[in-house]
Parts: sequence; C-alpha cells; structure tokens
Amino acid sequence: MAAPLELSCWGGGWGLPSVHSESLVVMAYAKFSGAPLKVNVIDNTWRGSRGDVPILTTEDNIVSQPAKILNFLRKQKYNADYELSAKQGADTLAYIALLEEKLLPAVLHTFWVESDNYFTVTKPWFASQIPFPLSLILPGRMSRGALNRILLTRGQPPLYHLREVEAQIYRDAKECLNLLSNRLGTSQFFFGNTPSTLDAYVFGFLAPLYKVRFPKIQLQEHLKQLSNLCRFCDDILSSYFRISLGAFSCVNRYQQQIDFGEVHSHDSTTRKLIASEWRHLSSWTRYGRCKSAETHTTCK
Amino acid sequence: MGHMVKQNSDRIAAEPWPENATLYQQLKGEQILLSDNAASLAVQAFLQMCNLPIKVVCRANAEYMSPSGKVPFIHVGNQVVSELGPIVQFVKAKGHSLSDGLDEVQKAEMKAYMELVNNMLLTAELYLQWCDEATVGEITHARYGSPYPWPLNHILAYQKQWEVKRKMKAIGWGKKTLDQVLEDVDQCCQALSQRLGTQLYFFNKQPTELDALVFGHLYTILTTQLTNDELSEKVKNYSNLLAFCRRIEQHYFEDRGKGRLS
Repeated sequence: MAAPLELSCWGGGWGLPSVHSESLVVMAYAKFSGAPLKVNVIDNTWRGSRGDVPILTTEDNIVSQPAKILNFLRKQKYNADYELSAKQGADTLAYIALLEEKLLPAVLHTFWVESDNYFTVTKPWFASQIPFPLSLILPGRMSRGALNRILLTRGQPPLYHLREVEAQIYRDAKECLNLLSNRLGTSQFFFGNTPSTLDAYVFGFLAPLYKVRFPKIQLQEHLKQLSNLCRFCDDILSSYFRISLGAFSCVNRYQQQIDFGEVHSHDSTTRKLIASEWRHLSSWTRYGRCKSAETHTTCK
Repeated sequence: MGHMVKQNSDRIAAEPWPENATLYQQLKGEQILLSDNAASLAVQAFLQMCNLPIKVVCRANAEYMSPSGKVPFIHVGNQVVSELGPIVQFVKAKGHSLSDGLDEVQKAEMKAYMELVNNMLLTAELYLQWCDEATVGEITHARYGSPYPWPLNHILAYQKQWEVKRKMKAIGWGKKTLDQVLEDVDQCCQALSQRLGTQLYFFNKQPTELDALVFGHLYTILTTQLTNDELSEKVKNYSNLLAFCRRIEQHYFEDRGKGRLS
C-alpha cells in the first residue's frame, strides 16, 4: 500500500472524469473503495501501451482489463463489497454479465459504429487526446474492434444484415436499461446505502451514454426517461467526483471543466482551436503530464 | 428470431402443442459436443418442466438444418425455432410459462443469471472444446467431423475452430489460460451456489427457465468425459448444485419414464 498505484486511462469530458466506460468503472471503484490512485490521463506524451487502456501500474505489476484491476485492488484490501452478503455478491456477477451481454453492444455501437456519432464526436475526441501519428490509427482500430465484437457476438443468422443486428441490440439495450431501472427502484445504490462493484459497473456504462452529446441519440433518449438511473449517475458524479482533491493531480483544471463542459457548444472546430491553445498554455505550467481532456476552459 | 415469433403470435397461440413435436440435435454418441449437449439438455428440461411432450431426434446435419445455425431446434407444427431464448418466447406465445409468477425484480434477476451462465459457463465450455489444444486434438476434432468423409471432416473442424477462436479474441478471452478459465467457472459456480442456497430451485418452489439452463450445463459438465476432470471437479465442489442436478434429473427425467439420461 505504500507503493503508488498509477492508473493510465482516457480523460474526461462533458462533466465526466472519463468518457471511456472501462476507465470510468475503475475510477469509480477506486473512489468507492478508497484506493489512492494516481490517475494519468492519456495525453500527447503517450506512446501507445502494451495492453488495453485502462492499465494499472504498481511497482512490480501491470494489470489491464477492469475485472482484473478490480480483483487486484481487492487483494490489496481495497474492497468496496465488504458489506455485501454472499447472495448479493452472486447477484453482482450476474448483473455485470447482463450489462456486458445486453447493454455493451449498443453502447459500443452508439460510440464507435454509428457513423454520425463516430465521425463528429468520438473520433475527433479520441484523436485529440493522443499524438500524431497514433491519432490517425488508434481511433480507427478501436472502431473496427467494436464492430467486430458486435458482429461476432450478435450478428449470427438469421440476422445477416447489420441493420437487423442494430435493431436487435438496441432492443436488448433498452430492455436492459428497463431491468436496471426496475432493480434500482428508489434506492440510492444497488445494494443498500454504500456503493459497490455493481454500482461502479453500472455507472461506468451509463454515465458516458447519459452525458456525451451525440447527434444520433435514441438510446440516450430512452435512458433519460428512466429518471432513477439518471439520478444515480448524477449522485455519484456530485458525491465522488467533484470535491476530490487528492486522487486527481490536476484538480483546478478539472473543476473548471465541469463548470464549462455543459455550457459551451460542442462545435468541433472551436474545440480543436481551444484545445491547441490550452495545450500550449498548460505545457508551461507545472501540471505537465496530467491534462484535462475536455478543454472548454479559459485560464483565469 | 424474436421478430419471427412476434409476427406470427396470433397464429401460434391458436394452435395447441402437438403430440409430434420434435427436438433435433447432433448424434449423441459420436458427434455432439459438450456445449451443444448442454444447450439441448436445457431445452429438454425446460419443455419437461412445462409438461410439453417432445421427441428427441438425432441428425448428423442438425447444425445446418437449424434456422440460426445453433442447436438444438424444435419443430412444432409448421414452426421451427432454435435456441433456448426464442423457444421460451415461443412456448410463452402458446400460453405456457414458468416465470409468470415472478415479479419485475425477480424477472430481472432471472435474466441476469441466465446471462451469467451464457457469459461464463457456455464460453468456458467453448474455450475448452476449441481453444485447449489437448481437448481439441483428442476429442473435438474427431467428434465434430465424424459424420463426414475425409477431407471434409478436417476442413469443417478447422473452420469451426477458427470461428470460435475469432469470437474468443473479440470478447477478450483470447489471451486467457486454461487455469484462468477454470477459475472463471469456479466463480460462476460459486455465484450459482450462493444464489441457490438451500432452496429447491432458484426461485424457491417452482422451477423456471433459469433452472433448466443451469441444469443443462451442470449436468453435462458432470457427465461428459473430457481429457481431464478439472472442469467437473469445479462443479463438484458445490454440494447444493450436485443435489440440484440430481433432483431435476430424478423429478423430470426418470420419474416421467424417460429413463436415465445417458
């Protein structure tokens, strides 16, 4: 526990600490369990990684994939599920499986496959986080990976055409959201009054869908009708991610980001101009490595 | 598959369950693999629980006869439906359901646990069958290609193996070792065991499609001879799961005069 735990992950935007679901799951779990993570947001100094982001680095370990990272944190005694009963622990596994099978394909589709969304929002955002020439290659690779995953797991006969697969995965995702909403009811978290692993996963999957502004928003519209899920995301954001002073090394920037993220328009050219200006400014401040991803800020 | 049922639901509901309904699967002795056997047994158990008669027919080309490429599939009247999910919906359209008595939260739990079984147990079975070199060499290739002459038997087996490996890679199981997969199986069985507790079935007194699915997979794992016993040992660690399988086998298969499952 003396050794620093460093997490490399994608940065934030639109009021979120990260727009990448898996990174967000790990960040949320770390908050819930009290693990002191040093978050290194991917930025222009990133040179690619050996595994898939998010990646946890300690003195002698490199762990990737959210499930493995959470297991590792639990072994280091950062356990958010301490108060759960055996049955609740079993339910956690089952609901996570439900999320991955029913909700994840549609989330991947909304971010990476739906062309309007991908070309106007996702690709520019991810490309702006990483240096050239990775910015030309990586978003395309992530998009192809997402499409591949959708087709291989759901695109089987008789659903031959991508259109039919899309219809089916969105139907499943809406059903999954309804099920989650039913299960959550009026409680603050899924199991009692303290958040656990399942809350981290649900938050990680739902929050980007809830907050990121897309042109094509059918799943988002459906989510917004489920007010208890929206309240769930907002509660976690306001309780665990606004007033942190320790875990994020670039807090000032971050707070400004939350204030401005929802006010400014999301015109991508304006964003790119501000982004390049911001990078220039922040390079000669002391917060060299850790930069805020959403750069709708004016340095006051 | 779901949309097919929705369009024809009136027609489906009008016809009662016929006596000559049949379930098709691959050849039991020489061809069928662990994962397909589990799926077929789950459907058989479900139909038994609904008290609907079904005759099991084994065909070497069952996989190709199926509308979705997956076994088992049932032929009822003039409808053909494959896989447990669509079959449950189809049977529901005919007026039989095991999960009507559950409230919304319980239905959500049931669906979540069914996904857990598909996500972990089924994927682990596929991994073991097609990505573990020892099992592939000794058992899978020979069984999968057995009805076909050379060289078709090898070609089909390699093609299927390639497809399964692609899928494993896409969902992040490509780099897993056998030990990690067995650990996942253990975690899944532990969750199922904890959820079942001391109850008779997962939702207390009455079985549901979840019980059928869990039975299908666990029973097949316990009774299939593989290159080693590691997989079945993982299940045997949980005595309430063993009792659960035995109970369903006795109640729905032996007592109904179907004889012991082979």
